[in-house]
Amino acid sequence: MLSSVFAKALRDRRRAFLYWSLGLVAFIAMEVAVYPTVRDNPTFKTLGESYPKAIKDLFSFGGQFDIVSGAGFLGIEAFSIVVPMMLIYCTVAVGANAIAGEEERGTLDLLLSLPLSRSRCLLEKLAALVVETLALGLVLWTVLVIAVPLAKMHVKVVELLAATLLALALALVFGMIALAVGAASGRRGLAIGIPAALAVATYVLNSLASLVGWLGHLQWFSPFYYYTRSDPLRTGLDISDLLVLLAIAAVFAAAAPFLFRRRDLTTP
Amino acid sequence: MTAAIRVEGLIKFYGSSRGVSGLDFAVEAGEVFGFLGPNGAGKTTTIRLLLDLIRPTAGRIELFGQDLSRASAAIRAKVGYLPGDLHLYERLTPREHLRYFAALRGLDGLGEGEKLADRFELELDRPIKALSKGNRQKVGLVQAFLHRPDLLLLDEPTAGLDPLVQQTFNELLREVAGEGTTVFLSSHILSEVQRLADRVAIIREGSLELVESVETLRARAFVRVEATFSEPPPAKAFAGLPGVRELERRGPVVLLALEGPADPLIKALARYEVLALDSHEADLEDFFLTFYRAGTSDAE
Repeated sequence: MLSSVFAKALRDRRRAFLYWSLGLVAFIAMEVAVYPTVRDNPTFKTLGESYPKAIKDLFSFGGQFDIVSGAGFLGIEAFSIVVPMMLIYCTVAVGANAIAGEEERGTLDLLLSLPLSRSRCLLEKLAALVVETLALGLVLWTVLVIAVPLAKMHVKVVELLAATLLALALALVFGMIALAVGAASGRRGLAIGIPAALAVATYVLNSLASLVGWLGHLQWFSPFYYYTRSDPLRTGLDISDLLVLLAIAAVFAAAAPFLFRRRDLTTP
Repeated sequence: MTAAIRVEGLIKFYGSSRGVSGLDFAVEAGEVFGFLGPNGAGKTTTIRLLLDLIRPTAGRIELFGQDLSRASAAIRAKVGYLPGDLHLYERLTPREHLRYFAALRGLDGLGEGEKLADRFELELDRPIKALSKGNRQKVGLVQAFLHRPDLLLLDEPTAGLDPLVQQTFNELLREVAGEGTTVFLSSHILSEVQRLADRVAIIREGSLELVESVETLRARAFVRVEATFSEPPPAKAFAGLPGVRELERRGPVVLLALEGPADPLIKALARYEVLALDSHEADLEDFFLTFYRAGTSDAE
């Protein structure tokens, strides 16, 4: 378990990963338990008609606003905000910790006194971040695959996979921003604050873009645009959206070692 | 023979604040090199430059004949490092910590770790966060020696060690030096460096003041005498006495440097009323004091 920087990075997250997994499982279980009540209550059928468009856009995850169908319910309740925010919280925490956290705690000095290049160190930590994100996605998908049929939500396994993959790619975007900011600055506060602020800002930008005319084109800059644009729970994966998100993540991932190599390490 | 360390025109500024301002020195392979200076003089900056943790503003560093800016990871395989401000992975035990570092250095198990831990009586299986400062320092020392490095960069290695452990450390250092390891040892304690080093560099405010063998330095050693009189003695009272140099005067208190026999000074002191007399071997600050006085008077 302590044979490489990669292995140690994963080992350090054992407990946190368990808690995040339990949190995701508990959240999905709760949503699924509530679903039959929502489905069978006639007032929810017309709920969408009474909401202003701004509210509906805030909670949209592709397609029209519909909380009664399984796909609609899962999109609005889970995939519009809570699931991506949970995953983003997790990837940003890990990404910020990778370089900046270790640097602020002072252990990076000793680690990089070993015959280990900075790029190698960073890439191993980056790989651990990707693996942990994928593992979290696997937990999410697994619990969905088990719970969704129990509640008769009628969403196919591949559609659940599509939504999960998009959420993972979205989370990786902000995780890689955190990693890159931490690698460039060595400051954990910045490495958390910048991606967190960007996540909120681009989320709001995407939600408001359809209402505010001049925001229309700016929507393209929001990762949430590519996350919510298709309707994965009904129509499956739009591979181009997934690729766009992965490309954004890759840009920051590629910048991180470059930024890290050039600067002085700081001491606490 | 290539030097273990060769530093040319090394300058490091952090923004506008000075780290080191122009260092030139070489450390021969197998040498124990003391790097002496008061806090803030640039010792830690120099060591972190030697590890490529920070980058020079100007100048060149070669370790074992290789340019550090080109092959830093490969060079560090030969280097053991003890930071002055040691931070370890708190949640690991010393055994886990050493195993991790051994693995990253490509060693099996703990490398030399088990033997060294035994020698320092370091308990390997308690979490590091539960260890005392002295025990943490032992973990730091053991990891620096783990892979039998060719070059040790030790930044204030004995800080926080109790005297018995210091002795073990001194023995270990002499052993590895005997086996040909090059040691770069920073300290602000003159006597510590004198005990261990072959040559000493003194750094002050970012530049080297002198590089001398310990014998030469020892030949210049002196006793610091502080005499308090009932009233200030005449200005030239101690001028011209053999081996005596007046360093400083604060009213009735006179600070003198004494080399050689004490008798002439005692007789001279006895001509006035002495209220208090204090003397001890010169420490680094005293040394600086005389060194600079001597430097300026030589120049005149």
